[in-house]
Amino acid sequence: MSQPRESITTPFIIGAIVLFTTGAIATVLLPFFEDTMKRPNANAEIRNYAADSPEYRGRQIYIREGCHTCHTQFVRPTKGDMNLGPVSVPQDYYYDSPVMQGTVRTGADLMWVGRRTSPAWHKAHLKNPRDVLPGSIMPSYNYLTEQETDDLIAYLMSLKPAPSTAGTGAPSAPIPTREREGDTNR
Amino acid sequence: MVTNEQLSYRAIRYIYYSAIVWLLVGMTVGLILSIKYVWPDFLVIGPLQKYLQYGRIRPVHTNSVILGWLTMAYVAGLFYVIPKLTRAPLAHPRLALIVGYLWNIFNGLGGLTLIGGYTTAIEYAEYLWPIDLVFFGLFACVMFICFRTISNRREKQLYVSLWYFMGSLIWFPLLFIIGNIPNGMIGGIPQALAAWFYGHNVIGLWITTVGVGFTYYLLPKLSKNPLYSHKLSLIGFWTIATFYVWNGPHHLQNGPVPSWLMKAGVIPSVLLIIPVWSVLANVFGTMKGKWQLVSHDVSLKFLITGMIFYLITCVQGPFQSLMGPSSVLKFTNWVVGHAHMPLFGAFSSVVFALIYHGFKDFAGREIYSKKLMDMHYWFSVIGFLVFAFSTWTQGVLQGFAWAEGKQYGIQFVEVMQALRPFSIFRSAGGFLMFAGQVVFAYNIYRSAKDGIPVEKKDQQTA
Repeated sequence: MSQPRESITTPFIIGAIVLFTTGAIATVLLPFFEDTMKRPNANAEIRNYAADSPEYRGRQIYIREGCHTCHTQFVRPTKGDMNLGPVSVPQDYYYDSPVMQGTVRTGADLMWVGRRTSPAWHKAHLKNPRDVLPGSIMPSYNYLTEQETDDLIAYLMSLKPAPSTAGTGAPSAPIPTREREGDTNR
Repeated sequence: MVTNEQLSYRAIRYIYYSAIVWLLVGMTVGLILSIKYVWPDFLVIGPLQKYLQYGRIRPVHTNSVILGWLTMAYVAGLFYVIPKLTRAPLAHPRLALIVGYLWNIFNGLGGLTLIGGYTTAIEYAEYLWPIDLVFFGLFACVMFICFRTISNRREKQLYVSLWYFMGSLIWFPLLFIIGNIPNGMIGGIPQALAAWFYGHNVIGLWITTVGVGFTYYLLPKLSKNPLYSHKLSLIGFWTIATFYVWNGPHHLQNGPVPSWLMKAGVIPSVLLIIPVWSVLANVFGTMKGKWQLVSHDVSLKFLITGMIFYLITCVQGPFQSLMGPSSVLKFTNWVVGHAHMPLFGAFSSVVFALIYHGFKDFAGREIYSKKLMDMHYWFSVIGFLVFAFSTWTQGVLQGFAWAEGKQYGIQFVEVMQALRPFSIFRSAGGFLMFAGQVVFAYNIYRSAKDGIPVEKKDQQTA
């Protein structure tokens, strides 16, 4: 085995800590001081649920059942997201704790799902997704109580843009037409 | 009298065997999840519907394989390798065994709470904070044991692997704190950044760096060549320590973060090719003239395969972190395939090599069957390739279908249906991977029970 020259541990320990701290400060701590992270917008206010409101309880169900493992709440200024509604900005998430951005779209994005659906649609869909969308692989949530289902729907319906920002979609997004098309498909 | 070595080998055996159980648990859950992509009503029977619901067991899969299987196996590996490299006995072997016991309780508790629906909802950090505290305590014990052993060293030189181990032992708890800041204290995009800082770096500064340390230990042993370049390994260590920490923000590529932050995340991701290549160049350099050994030695086969998957991971990762590719591939199953590569393809392979290599020592017996070792290898590799290529294909299909506008409603479901054949392949690949691990577990079990004791064999040959 080749003989390394290094024999003291201190430089490795100090170096490891310093380099780690630099990265952590830059990518975790500094963003806290970004203007966009420091204040909510009108969309965020809609999502600032009073404790024990139906939306708040619905959000807890959303978390408990792990909806975020398949659904994102994250609209990007990309072609793949152009029909989903306004592009997400940091201010939208101001009150979102734990943050529900999600990482995989096994199901559709839900950032503004309240805008394109109705409570009745959700009720049928949650009971058995395949009744409404044949071929869907979403699990049935028919084991939720009536109360839980209603709360969850209240949460989902609250996920819509504030009137002031509703028109600011991605530049090329033909939202109104798509919306109607989507409706006929459902 | 029980010697220190016997005590430490007992702890190592216990932790390794527990890790293998968690591997089987985690992969069983993974298999159930993958079947749910094909038949969403799979196991929707009575109370199982609720407790094995996709969203609840998905974090059970990730936590069992990361904190149960790989991290536990890594801890056992550290307890095995550090004394070899320092020529000092493992410090506090009794504590090591207790850590093993409690670690199992920690993981079991974590899994049960997740199935019960108690989760922080932060990916890879889903366990609730009281359970996090248990983990933190356990890891503090691991650090204490490892650093005590290193400071008692009789070997004056610090071998390459030890730098990696020391770095990782310091980074992991720090990462863990940042990733697990309780929900009430943090939210919004800063929380997403903290979560990705943890989610990405638990792979980069724990799984990767300890795994590379094991590789540097195993490579000269298995190839019987000296390590090719000391300087390269130095470059590799310091560049990985410099660049990896910065990678978190690339998980929010094209997302609601300032553009300076996106760049701060992507540029170091691309620069990661330096540490990766320095490791691979060292691997290839060390193997020079010894490649024929690969076909005879399953440990070496696993090690080299792991390193090749490591290289592919770190070429693929920077590619998909770029703005353009990310706009197509983000949120698709491509990422799922990518995430499995370092964890299963690369570093689980390194651990398999380490377990097979060290078995004679810590269990005092020969491996029961070489044929089963080979089966383990081929099932794992072929299964993984089938699995990975089906997720990657799915990802590309999904990304382009969404770009055509099929983003919700029945159009989205049509894309989902088009993925079904690939989901079947994905499950089949997953089943092969799982079958490989069953063979592995059986082989280790039989070896521990009926393997030829090493001492006896030595006496016969003497």
